[in-house]
Amino acid sequence: MAGQQPAVRRGPLARALGQMRQNLWLQGVAVSSLAVTLAIMFAYVNLGLNVYAALERLSTGASVMVVLEEDAAPERGAELARLAAAWPEVLSARFVPKDEALERFRQQLGSRSGLLEGLARNPLPDAVEVRLKPGAAPLMVLGNQLKGLAGVAEVVTSRPWLHQLERAADTALEVGAVLGALLFIGVVLVVANTVRLAVYVRRDDLEIMALVGASLGYMRRPFLWETSLQCLAAAMLAMLLVWGLLAYFSAPLTLPLGLETSRILAFNPVIIPPFILAALAAGLVGSWLGVGRALRMKVW
Amino acid sequence: MVILHGVSKHYPQRRRPALDDVSLHVPPGQFLFLTGPSGAGKTTFLRLLFGAALPSAGTIRVGGADLGRLSPRQIPRLRRKLGVIFQDFKLMPRLSVFENVALALRVAGVKSRDLVERVERALRQVGLDHLAEAQADSLSGGEQQRAAIARALAHQPALILADEPSGNLDPRNALEVMKLLVAAHARGATVILATHDPALLDMVHGARVAKLEAGRLEES
Repeated sequence: MAGQQPAVRRGPLARALGQMRQNLWLQGVAVSSLAVTLAIMFAYVNLGLNVYAALERLSTGASVMVVLEEDAAPERGAELARLAAAWPEVLSARFVPKDEALERFRQQLGSRSGLLEGLARNPLPDAVEVRLKPGAAPLMVLGNQLKGLAGVAEVVTSRPWLHQLERAADTALEVGAVLGALLFIGVVLVVANTVRLAVYVRRDDLEIMALVGASLGYMRRPFLWETSLQCLAAAMLAMLLVWGLLAYFSAPLTLPLGLETSRILAFNPVIIPPFILAALAAGLVGSWLGVGRALRMKVW
Repeated sequence: MVILHGVSKHYPQRRRPALDDVSLHVPPGQFLFLTGPSGAGKTTFLRLLFGAALPSAGTIRVGGADLGRLSPRQIPRLRRKLGVIFQDFKLMPRLSVFENVALALRVAGVKSRDLVERVERALRQVGLDHLAEAQADSLSGGEQQRAAIARALAHQPALILADEPSGNLDPRNALEVMKLLVAAHARGATVILATHDPALLDMVHGARVAKLEAGRLEES
């Protein structure tokens, strides 16, 4: 008989594959429901990160004009620029003499630069133009620090709404993290319920296993494998679904503040590995809880 | 091997107890018939012995273990030391005969080579070695019960519990099943067999008979 040895179901993975093959319909239902749930989670994280990146881009290059006192020497302006450039949150700092400022203004006016012809004297002050690193420090804090330096008359932020934007972005990040955690819990619950359905379908086999002395772990392990494989397949499907939807909806459109829909609705490949890991983690946690609960409720 | 002392079992939905103050001592190597009509408490008695139910009162010791003190984790370990045979066979229908028998060894952590040898030996004992690859639900009732017995014998248990093992079989197959159990007893196993069929009692010489009537042990 040894020569005709039947195939033996060995490890939990082999047992998981065996029980998955026995009910493909159940697999389809499980993977579909998980894929929809994971797609919601993936779309949310993808959009959240894109919006956050867009806000960061808005902050990039935010500039502060440090207006010098009228009697301040140009050397003081150059010294202030060197001083500011050394600060870690500053990307660059450059002294802009009043003549250069006027010339820049003239260029900005373009065809209407004739408006400046009637000026008796240059009304613009000497200034130091400070460009900030994105998100390095709150704008107001830095402005106050600059204002305290000798020779500085005033500090003007070129985009005063950036301060509110920074606060809004931080709040959005916190709210986003909470919602993300809730979505993760939602996936865990979906998995747990799906696994309970699988346990119910296989209750006769599980009863026999328990009667011959199978431990909870022995019965649980194939379900952990099965759920992991389902989550992996569902994660792939979810990403494909989100990718398709984003491609469909991301018609080029420029929004206020220079935001672009094509960038906000872009598929973000960076989150693929952590998303798959999160899906697997949710699957394992949900499966562990679901199988344990379903098997304990049953008295074999 | 098995000691029951003042064991009662009540089910919430039933007015009368399924077992009422049952005390019994089954020494190692004994063949015990547990008889009585349907509903007398025979199945409950056996379920208590393999930890599928807990007594409402009294103590049960199986192989030295006090079942009332076993944690849920220890119940599977107890069952791996027993061979349990059911009237409805309890085979996994879509697995082969070999896989069904191997299951009892696999859950006990028996590794491949040893497992194959022991499954083959168990199948030879019950005369099913030629059907090892057959799917369980393709077998006749008699063959399925022999496969179930092979599963119960595969790990050479010291105690075999059989609940109406021939209840679904014709007389010829019932005789075959009894022969297998007698052979296991001859190899040293303690056997407790629940049946309502008095014809089986004559098949085992020197067997002890205990009768359950409405949950009470009337004679021993």
